[in-house]
Amino acid sequence: MDDQLRKLIDCIFDAHLDTIIDCETCGSQFNCFAELVAGGADAHDLLPAVEEHLLCCPDCREEYEALLAIVRAENQGLTAS
Amino acid sequence: MTERTNEEWLADLQSDSDRQGEAIQDLQNRLQRGIFYYLSRERSDLSGLSTHELTQMAQDMAQDATLRVMQNLTSFRGDSLFTTWATRVAVRVAISDLRRARYKDFSLDSITADGDVLPPASTLVGGSRPPGPERAAEQTEILAKVQSTLNDVLTERQQQALIAVAVRGVPLEIVAEQMQTNRNALYKLIHDARRKLRTHLETQGLSLDYVLNLFQE
Repeated sequence: MDDQLRKLIDCIFDAHLDTIIDCETCGSQFNCFAELVAGGADAHDLLPAVEEHLLCCPDCREEYEALLAIVRAENQGLTAS
Repeated sequence: MTERTNEEWLADLQSDSDRQGEAIQDLQNRLQRGIFYYLSRERSDLSGLSTHELTQMAQDMAQDATLRVMQNLTSFRGDSLFTTWATRVAVRVAISDLRRARYKDFSLDSITADGDVLPPASTLVGGSRPPGPERAAEQTEILAKVQSTLNDVLTERQQQALIAVAVRGVPLEIVAEQMQTNRNALYKLIHDARRKLRTHLETQGLSLDYVLNLFQE
């Protein structure tokens, strides 16, 4: 299947019909979310609204994944000079 | 160096003694190490850059991020480590810079707003076996239905935004800038568009499984 058509179909049928949080609200919560996940918590058990937004919003997801990667690396001493 | 608590970071960064300069330098160094890790280990698109180039990028981004942290200290709410909050600021700076560089030539005008955004059905199924005539006709019919739904249900602005972000993968931040809006408002615009499309297609009896199955080889 054509990649662009697949993306369009996915984005339509993955749409949540209920109200979800926006980027600003998600961003205000994901520092804490990233710390907990980096500490080993299961994202599914934490903030479902944040997780749902991250699934739908590529910009927030990219930023969250970057933050999580850095926090994890710091916890493991991988960023030490 | 002993790690500072949140209170110590805030006190030192707002101090009017030498401690402020030391704290700013410590913060900038820390952010630089984090950004360098991200650029060098998590960004395959930057793998062609030398360590020197990545170091320079990380240094510039950390400097900018430190400035922003200092300008926004009062917005730190204390619900995470201060360093995590500052790293988030740095991540925004770094990723924004990378997005702007990557999409510097992108124009929303390149998205066909009032024409067909979907390719013809004949180009959509890969592999060696073309669909039979009945299946091909059904694919064409469904594509036309999706296309007309896009045209009928969405405004031109919603179509442009949806195609740019969800189909072409252009970051919200870049599209928002070109639409002279902000990322939050654009996210809501696209979310609303997706909901409208889904509801409209489902009322016509189209489900995800049906559409996917129709276009699978």
